[in-house]
Amino acid sequence: MKHVLTLTALLLAQPALAQDTSPQDLIALYGAQSGAPPAPDAGRALFLSDQTGGKPDTPSCTTCHSADPTRAGQARTGKAIAPMAPRVAPERFTDQKFVEKWFGRNCNSVLGRPCTAQEKADIISWLNSL
Amino acid sequence: MSAFSAPPDEYLQANPREGHLVWDRFIRVFHWSLVASVTIALISGLALDATWSRLHLVSGTFAVALVSARIVWGFTGPAYARFSGFVPSRQQVVAYLKRGTGHMRHLGHNPLGALMVLALLALILGLGATGLAALGSGLKTGPLAAILPASQGGVWSEIHETAALALLGLIVLHLGGVIFESRRSGENLPRAMITGRKARRMGDIAAPARTAHPIVAVLSVSGLLLVSALAVTDLSQRPLSNPPVAVIPPVYSAECAACHMAYHPATRPAASWQVMMTGLQDHFGEDASLPQETAAQISTWLRRHAADTTDSKPATLWAGLRDTTPVALPDTAQWKRLHDSVDADTFRRAPVYSRSNCVACHADAETGWFSPFRITLPKEPTP
Repeated sequence: MKHVLTLTALLLAQPALAQDTSPQDLIALYGAQSGAPPAPDAGRALFLSDQTGGKPDTPSCTTCHSADPTRAGQARTGKAIAPMAPRVAPERFTDQKFVEKWFGRNCNSVLGRPCTAQEKADIISWLNSL
Repeated sequence: MSAFSAPPDEYLQANPREGHLVWDRFIRVFHWSLVASVTIALISGLALDATWSRLHLVSGTFAVALVSARIVWGFTGPAYARFSGFVPSRQQVVAYLKRGTGHMRHLGHNPLGALMVLALLALILGLGATGLAALGSGLKTGPLAAILPASQGGVWSEIHETAALALLGLIVLHLGGVIFESRRSGENLPRAMITGRKARRMGDIAAPARTAHPIVAVLSVSGLLLVSALAVTDLSQRPLSNPPVAVIPPVYSAECAACHMAYHPATRPAASWQVMMTGLQDHFGEDASLPQETAAQISTWLRRHAADTTDSKPATLWAGLRDTTPVALPDTAQWKRLHDSVDADTFRRAPVYSRSNCVACHADAETGWFSPFRITLPKEPTP
């Protein structure tokens, strides 16, 4: 029950999302941009990997997002982050501007560069398969 | 045989209705209630932390109300309660001091005791006034909140604390005087303040007889309480000038409270916000960049409601950092001084996790007020 409440609070805490897209649409969009089929395993490997090119406090996506994306993560400030897997957090990947903003910030924080369309398609396809 | 077990006391103990009624019932209840409320106010104010503020306010207010009632009774009560019966002239005080210990016994207050009574009453009223001033300026609550600027908070607190230490000194002198006079006169004065009675002796100096007017007293005190309550309520509701901004725009909550709590604009001077909002690509070790237009919109709002233009005690503190343009408050000496009673582990553990998570302990952090009444430290984790 406590988890249900926590999850509800997390979802409610999310800003109003545009609901203008879906995980499938985004996978298709980024896949078309890269010209290669999305590879969930590559997305998983990237998500769980440790990097050195970005900012020292955030070596990995899992620094803040849980290594199990069906569970809540935690920002370095202590604030909870809703799970990334759309199966448990249906609001995920439904607002294109929101997705672009956070890819933009977090790829730079972790990798020190923007993510490629291929990497975005890989990661979303892995998260969407969980 | 000690002074405290002299024959008159034993006689009175066996015959409680005997002896001269000096302290009427109001005076006795007043005295011991004042002892209790002043003790609580002194301990909660001087020895306990800010989480005890409420107890301090209640006990202090009660002490002031008691003193006000005592002052009314000083004009309406029976012989020994009347100011006219014990307030000494300068000559009387000088003559009393010159005679040393050989003087006649005053049944009521002797001239020195009377001066002590007046000093205690005045000092407690003064403590009430300076306490209200500190509350109004520093905490922006109560009847003086709309009148006194937050920048005076520190001064009023200092005066209030100095007056409290002076009261502590007077209490020590008062106890010394009571012990001295009990021994000198062979009468247990603390017990006389319980029974109200003192032995009848030849040569005692009695107060001129006066009729008490309890109904006038009750009406006056009720009227005084009513008027004070109405005045306090009215003054307390006056609008504050430049309080921490109350309306937080949705764009700020959405963009700036995704990874951390929504820090109120009054937690930093405008110059700090300027520095922070132009460096979002490296925001405390992460990229938090925003579209230029959104960043500009948020930056304008933050700077307009920053600490420099807000009248609250925490804003006064952070506005003072204008020149150093800090961006991480927990790295400032001011922050560390205010939090040095909290051990470093508490900040790392659940549910705080980080020194930047103000709202974990300050329930009102996102309003910018940081009232001491709203602090709750998380409980120690159970092993």
